[in-house]
Amino acid sequence: MYQKLIYTIPTLLLTCVLFFSATAQEEISPERKAAIDSLALEKVRDLSRYISIIGNKETPFSEGSRVIDRAVELFSDGSEIGVSSLFRQGIRTFEVRRYFERLMALNYDRVTIEWFNIQYISDLELQPDGTYVGVITIFQRFEGFSDDGPSYKDTTKKDITVYVKRKSTQISGRIIEFWDVLLGDIRVTETMP
Amino acid sequence: MLKYFWLFFFSSLFYISFSHAQTLNRYLGDESVLYAETKQVNQFFRRFNCEEALDGSRYYRGDSLYHDPQMREKYLEVLFDEQNTSISASMKKKFIRQVNNNQKPQYLDFHGGDWFAEVSTDFNYKGKSTPVTLFLELEEAPVGSKWVFTNVYFQPFSEIFEAESNEDQGPPFIHPLSHELDFMNLIKVFRNNNIEKYAQKDYQPDYLTLFLYELKKNNLKFIQVNKVKFHFFQIDGWYFELDDFTRSGYNRGWLISQMTEIPRGKKDLLLKFIYHQ
Repeated sequence: MYQKLIYTIPTLLLTCVLFFSATAQEEISPERKAAIDSLALEKVRDLSRYISIIGNKETPFSEGSRVIDRAVELFSDGSEIGVSSLFRQGIRTFEVRRYFERLMALNYDRVTIEWFNIQYISDLELQPDGTYVGVITIFQRFEGFSDDGPSYKDTTKKDITVYVKRKSTQISGRIIEFWDVLLGDIRVTETMP
Repeated sequence: MLKYFWLFFFSSLFYISFSHAQTLNRYLGDESVLYAETKQVNQFFRRFNCEEALDGSRYYRGDSLYHDPQMREKYLEVLFDEQNTSISASMKKKFIRQVNNNQKPQYLDFHGGDWFAEVSTDFNYKGKSTPVTLFLELEEAPVGSKWVFTNVYFQPFSEIFEAESNEDQGPPFIHPLSHELDFMNLIKVFRNNNIEKYAQKDYQPDYLTLFLYELKKNNLKFIQVNKVKFHFFQIDGWYFELDDFTRSGYNRGWLISQMTEIPRGKKDLLLKFIYHQ
């Protein structure tokens, strides 16, 4: 429970701070877009942190499982992760929970996951169902070490779908509107060995 | 190579100014290559139009550098595949001069039509992995927009419909008094494999419908997407192709890989070529 609060509270607080006073409007203004970008990036950073914990061999199984649950909550239902390699034909697609479980089960003695300090955020486009969709691109370097064998490393580009939906809730009799952000499908492309 | 200097110089400044703000993870060094990369098609649009800063943040109408011609020229110069020698320096210059003309600049419009995606995929067909090329366009919906299928290229279909006729005496036909015999000659017509030769003169096989039919009959099963590229006809008198280049160096990401001037009236010919018609 404690762990769950640690992971959940920052995101909830940020949501409230940024969007508590949001008002209904069809077009997303540059200011609103900047606020939504911040929230979306915060979710991506949460995901990055969760991936680091899940991939860390020193993370106990029970803790890893809890973090996987938190990570899955960042995504909309049915989200998948498609992975391609420079040296292998085709794309392997995993349902997000399966992807995290595979990451936790990787057979390395030590794993380091590092992030390049760059992200690119697309415009938000309106979908026919009334929600907005965007894509955030980030870059990650993965390195797995085995005590008795060669290490494996790759640098990947991650294109992360972001769904943005206007929601409302009632607090003390007042209708408060806010923007909710969920992650969607992720395309993982190896960019350099 | 010198033209990249300004991009990396400013990118480095951006990196230094922000590197202390991040504490969540250990970040890696030299991101200049990643800044230079045109990372999304969205970024290609923005750079083409000069609608974003060097750090990727959006310019909006009213910002001082929004559509700025000098900055735009620098962006445009780095949006070409440098390794493609068929795009000559003079052609590039002519294109940039036209789109960045002070009197009548031309911009790309995401919702402006006249551009579409070509998606190379694999499907399982009769137990074998078989390539299928899908063509998609962005269609405006009552709310928002969506990508829709517009065409498909599938070689087994083409082989059926584009097989050479063996007729020595011109194309076959149903003679004009066949109706007087209750079309009894249809028995001979339907013995002919090139049955489409009997269709009206402007008949074109609808491969998309055939493709959907085969899918619905479970004869085709999707395997994967292999490659995506885009065809642009938005700039007056020009066609260009956009491809994603995964390689080392600064000239990578979404770049113009093919470009040609198209005289008025030749667009349909080029479209037929792209659609394999």
